[in-house]
Amino acid sequence: MIKPAHIHSSLRGDNALPLRPASQVMDLERLGAMHQSRLSFMRSLMRKVMLERWQIVLSCCDLDEKGHGTVVYQISAPYGVYSFVLFSNWLDPEQRNDRVIAEQWDLTMALVAGKVDDHYLETLRKNVPKQEAGRVDSRVFVLSRANRSLRNFDYVVDTLAAGEQPDVQKIEQVGYLYRTTAVYGSGKLGMADWEKVQSRWPDFARPFSAEMFTCFMLRNFSLLQVEHIARHQSPDTFSPMDITIKRYVGIGNSTGLGMAPFLIHHPLLFNQWIEMRELALARVRVLGAVDSTIKKRFRKLLDRTTHHTRQTKTEDPWQSDHNIQVIKDLKALHKQSSQPFTRWGQLILWSEKNCSLQGQELLVSVLLELYPELVNKLEDYCSAEEFLDLDPIMPLQTLQTVIEDRYDWALTMDFIADGARDIFWYRSEEKMEPRLGDALKEKGKDRQMALGVGYAVRKCYDQLLDYISEFPDHNTARFMVARPKLRGIVRRIQSMNRCLYGDIQANLLHRDVLPMHLLRAKLSFFGVSKFDPKSRLWVRNTMFQGAPLLEDIGGTFDDDWFMPLSPEYRSDETIAITSTKTTKHTEEVAAL
Amino acid sequence: MIISMNELKAALRRCFEASGYFVGNYEDAANMVLWLEKHGLNGLKELELALDYIKSDRKKTMSKVVYEDSTSAIINCSGRSALNCIASAVDLAHAKALEVGISTITVHNCHNRKFILKALTDCGRRGISVAAYWQNGSTTVTEHTASIRAGARYPSYSESIMSSPADNASDKQSMTIICSSRVDISTSLQHSSLHRSSRYLSAEQVAANKENSVDHGIQIDDTLWVNINSIGAEILVENSEQSRQGAGA
Repeated sequence: MIKPAHIHSSLRGDNALPLRPASQVMDLERLGAMHQSRLSFMRSLMRKVMLERWQIVLSCCDLDEKGHGTVVYQISAPYGVYSFVLFSNWLDPEQRNDRVIAEQWDLTMALVAGKVDDHYLETLRKNVPKQEAGRVDSRVFVLSRANRSLRNFDYVVDTLAAGEQPDVQKIEQVGYLYRTTAVYGSGKLGMADWEKVQSRWPDFARPFSAEMFTCFMLRNFSLLQVEHIARHQSPDTFSPMDITIKRYVGIGNSTGLGMAPFLIHHPLLFNQWIEMRELALARVRVLGAVDSTIKKRFRKLLDRTTHHTRQTKTEDPWQSDHNIQVIKDLKALHKQSSQPFTRWGQLILWSEKNCSLQGQELLVSVLLELYPELVNKLEDYCSAEEFLDLDPIMPLQTLQTVIEDRYDWALTMDFIADGARDIFWYRSEEKMEPRLGDALKEKGKDRQMALGVGYAVRKCYDQLLDYISEFPDHNTARFMVARPKLRGIVRRIQSMNRCLYGDIQANLLHRDVLPMHLLRAKLSFFGVSKFDPKSRLWVRNTMFQGAPLLEDIGGTFDDDWFMPLSPEYRSDETIAITSTKTTKHTEEVAAL
Repeated sequence: MIISMNELKAALRRCFEASGYFVGNYEDAANMVLWLEKHGLNGLKELELALDYIKSDRKKTMSKVVYEDSTSAIINCSGRSALNCIASAVDLAHAKALEVGISTITVHNCHNRKFILKALTDCGRRGISVAAYWQNGSTTVTEHTASIRAGARYPSYSESIMSSPADNASDKQSMTIICSSRVDISTSLQHSSLHRSSRYLSAEQVAANKENSVDHGIQIDDTLWVNINSIGAEILVENSEQSRQGAGA
């Protein structure tokens, strides 16, 4: 068990562990190169569900032969009983749209506290399928919707109906039957606030655990539904899906720009996630014993990660190139790890000189995987209250030094340069969807969201220097009375200075900014895999692939679903390239 | 209708942002309203009184320190709402208290002063004790005080209606803030024949009110909710084909 005092002394003071510096970790491109790990929220959730042996039973299954209707699962966890309520409706293919602005979906869902009676079910039925156009009450704490994967759903149903098993290579291509397009929590649309979830329902008191659980339940329903439809389609020939293939089916996710403002608006929370990940790495560096057994396991995980990357399909040239590089990096790491070494720090330093950012960050994830006893318990410290407090007594010269030390990255940026402020982030009147605008061509810059932290720091610094020359003895409180427009950025600077990692180091207003990095950073903490960018503004990915199924709860649990492989690899984790060579990228990847 | 605290906060942030409040300030203002409402102290009723005027503050001059020594200061808020200026006054009191142990800040020409309670609470959480006193109204005069102990999460609050309209002309929309890093300050209005009715909410009662809001959300008048959202809609950018491209379609 790790106590707060232990964490504090590991992060700060004379006995602090060797942490990577903020200048390295908070670089946007590196954040966008991070991968799922043992500390990711999906992994954390599954440990909880499996170790506490949650009981999840189907309490209502009212589906027609096409799989349309209502389903309710009842969940009994240590601190409470909950219901997962799902409505499946026929959807005109013309209406199928992953964007926030969609108005109809194949499935809509709600996670609700307590048992659901008929009366309450009717209330939910009237509202949940409408999503943003409906209202729910504070018994509901997650609301979500999903669309079928056109590439897989009917194929899997037909295959099972014919008494056959789906071709694993097809599941490799698209590892899911449904794709979530939004997962809402934290008080939206009348739902329970996070404050209520955290204090009243401890089973879901970790960040995003209720949202992740909803996706997990959707994945289980998707497997139930394809079997249900196939059974009705052909009762005589139907056969259920092989359980190893079932485990390989995840849930798809489409993520757009909405995640980017979240990270900027919750800097203390994001810093906390980073601190725990970096602390985990530092613990492994210092405390992780390196012997032949652990080296063997390490190389096995490198192999698994290599195959997982080979099985990641994307048509995006940027992502393809990076995947190819990652495979090269993993091969080089494998070779390097056969040289004698006694500390993981040696391999980390080597990777920083010889591997891509994605390769380096993948090494971090693999190292965390090796030492559950050093890493897992940090999952209890991934929450933070978002108090951005002003330090009113701070002398202005100290504030100046803080900016020069902690925001040197912002001070070295040229905000006058061509392209430096060409982008603006805004909310559209269409469902308040977050969007990016070109300041030179589009209207709306006057209503932009305040995401340009670097530029705000620069402006603050310039005004601060002028003020100091006039009033050198004033403190921050006095400065704030005179310059109230700077209050937001000053208290952010002071608050982030109290953190180890602080703000994301990037100019989000630059013409060439890649919001994809922000999305990937957050998604890696969720624990997704198989990034498949559809533009620089949104990405498809896969959740819960390889995770235990409902029927696995109560059985043995090895917590070993990192970088999941298709069943044919999983059996012995040997190298066997069998993927269909349909694109140049696939051929290149397979050749490595 | 019933809304969540998060919905109210998000809508208020848009509302204040659209009203010309600057970054940092619109979050403060939203939190001040939400804090009062969530703790059973009628934040939405106070907001209704302020709503017609919130856009006019952008034309007013900024607050100014008109007098200052090591233990005290006088700030002229130029007729602004406490929603956009009182936090700085509390910061100044806080800073002086840390420097000299106890400080007094007098604020003039400041409206909607009840919103100070959120700023007081932030001080308490951070280990500083604070008290505030003010009067309000001209025909019906009310008297208010709130205080929080160092390290506490909730303040106490008292209010009274004066039994006869006093000559309040000299009041200047003032407030007195006393802040200490050494002494725990606790205030309540004295029993007085001048009071027609009084109420006192202990820190425990304030905490209990919060628990109710956490469990059940916030009750809001439909018209006010529409009003807040329609002001906030001014920060939304109109839709266009080009704009849709900016979402990555």
